Amino acid sequence: MAVLEEPIKGIKNVKNYINGEWVESKGEIVDVVNPATYQTIGRVPISTKEEINAAVEAAKAAFPDWRRTTPLARSRILFRLKNLLEENFEEVSRIQTQEHGKCIDESRGESRRGIENVEVACGIPTLMQGYYSEDIAHGIDEWVIPTPLGVFGIIGPFNFPWMIPLWSAPYALATGNCVVIKPSSEVPFSQMKLAELAEEAGFPPGVWNVVNGGRTVVNGMLDHPDIVGITFVGSTPTGRDVIYKRCGETGKRVIAQCGAKNFMTVMPDCDVERTVTAMMTSFFGNTGQRCLSAANAVIVGDDDAFYRDFVDKIVARTSNIKVGYGLDESVQVGPLRDKAKKEKVLRYIETGIKEGAKLLLDGRKVKINGDYPDTCFLGPTIFEDVRPDSRVGSEEIFGPVMSIMRVKTLEEAIEISNANSFGNGHSIFTSSGKSAREYQYNILSGNVGINIGIVAPMAFFPFSGMKESFYGVLHTQGREAVRFFTESKVIIQRWF
Amino acid sequence: MELNTASSVISFARELEEESARFYESLSSQYPGDEETFLDFAKENRKFIKQFENAYYSVISDAIEGCFAFAINPDTYKLNNKPVAGADISEAIRRALEIEDSLVRFYNDAAEQSKSLLADVPRAFTLIAKKRSGRKQTLESIR
Repeated sequence: MAVLEEPIKGIKNVKNYINGEWVESKGEIVDVVNPATYQTIGRVPISTKEEINAAVEAAKAAFPDWRRTTPLARSRILFRLKNLLEENFEEVSRIQTQEHGKCIDESRGESRRGIENVEVACGIPTLMQGYYSEDIAHGIDEWVIPTPLGVFGIIGPFNFPWMIPLWSAPYALATGNCVVIKPSSEVPFSQMKLAELAEEAGFPPGVWNVVNGGRTVVNGMLDHPDIVGITFVGSTPTGRDVIYKRCGETGKRVIAQCGAKNFMTVMPDCDVERTVTAMMTSFFGNTGQRCLSAANAVIVGDDDAFYRDFVDKIVARTSNIKVGYGLDESVQVGPLRDKAKKEKVLRYIETGIKEGAKLLLDGRKVKINGDYPDTCFLGPTIFEDVRPDSRVGSEEIFGPVMSIMRVKTLEEAIEISNANSFGNGHSIFTSSGKSAREYQYNILSGNVGINIGIVAPMAFFPFSGMKESFYGVLHTQGREAVRFFTESKVIIQRWF
Repeated sequence: MELNTASSVISFARELEEESARFYESLSSQYPGDEETFLDFAKENRKFIKQFENAYYSVISDAIEGCFAFAINPDTYKLNNKPVAGADISEAIRRALEIEDSLVRFYNDAAEQSKSLLADVPRAFTLIAKKRSGRKQTLESIR
């Protein structure tokens, strides 16, 4: 099968987008590497404090006019953006694959999910409406107006370079705020392309800004008094100890979506074939680098024959997964994003062996489709007899590793899932409504799946999370995002 | 090699449609009496491509089993679209009917296997299979 054409040719330099201008950074420049070919495809700046300050100043200056732009007019710009995203759908998808490594189907899925948030935000004239009560006392009326707040910072992760800033930006902008986006410096091209399209769509200068970099940019956002709120997606230590804490100290609104360890509970009455298929994409899709990736398969019951048959089917299906460059359409699992991430997963595999788990499938012996260096590639790996309190069974690995556990009852499955410190996207596979309800009622997870491998909420629902997977109150996407990006201004009126 | 991913199945469907469109275009020049019918078929093939591409690009989403949904063996649907130069029209129609049979089988299989995707994709495949089945009557009437 042919490899699709790469959209990024040669080595491309990434610039910042500040106040409607593409500007060179004075910061250090680092290489961006395609994880499949391990070739340098670009250079990205690690921007300075002055540069993040300039972006915030530009956004602050643009805010009063943008706020006065009618919701309908703001929505029309979003509609234009939506059309441009559709026109450039294939290019933006291939950029994601080239810079991140994910398979082309996954990148197209990511593009679609990003666009869906723009589509939902296009409804802002009604989404943003307040409400009114007449005669709350004699001759007095009261109403609430959702008003924008100013400048928001959006900090994106490496695993969904395109979609995740779109969980926030369309709502922030539609409600009349301005944004400064900091993409992951490992994958800056998706947000560069998005900013080009935003510029073409007609967002006024200063409304949409992108500043590339690392800690200096993040700290610059957290410290800046004119940033009123932050949305963040990344690891739990950074989300909890840096973003959430510092936003609390500086009085900023915050949404911090963090790590996960997702449990898939498999009941003996599940539809085996469809469960196995759903589990393939859940455990190994995006090379396990999703906060909604499954990590632990908890198989319920004391039916040994069912257990053995299910595990054998999982191993057989997984053994046939094609690993390679995501632009090869036949490939089902791409590389990990970089060498360090692969090494981290390799250490977990070694830990699993030391902890006494049984290695059923060893991804270290990966066969790569095509002629690519194995630098970032790792095949799907399956452990059996994993203890839920072991490191492999309890910590976030963020790679294509499945840990199989066995319990006697559904209660026990829920108990071990809830004992884990994370609560992001647990699922049950069953044909029993009773089991599904019991699971949904008792499980501590922000997003819950019933016969669903990846519990990714649609754009018109909040992307939830519990325990160490989420810090904040409101969530990104849909109505909750509209609430997050607006303050309720309450008016009480009487005329003499 | 078996096709497992949605992307590879869509590309394969596109190839099949293009191949059969070229076949009908060649028939249109060889058999001028039925030129319009053959050209209509070729045109409709390109419409089919748009239909399944629209369905796929509209619903492909990170949450569905796009990379794991299919097990299609492309060899099973190989089309014999070699030119039929000098042959009687009935021979050309026989070849066309074989192509249509093969494509109907492909779309029905693809529809069955894509049930784990959102409804639009299997619906588009089923619809095209139905329309292609309808072509057979027209082809038979030429023969």
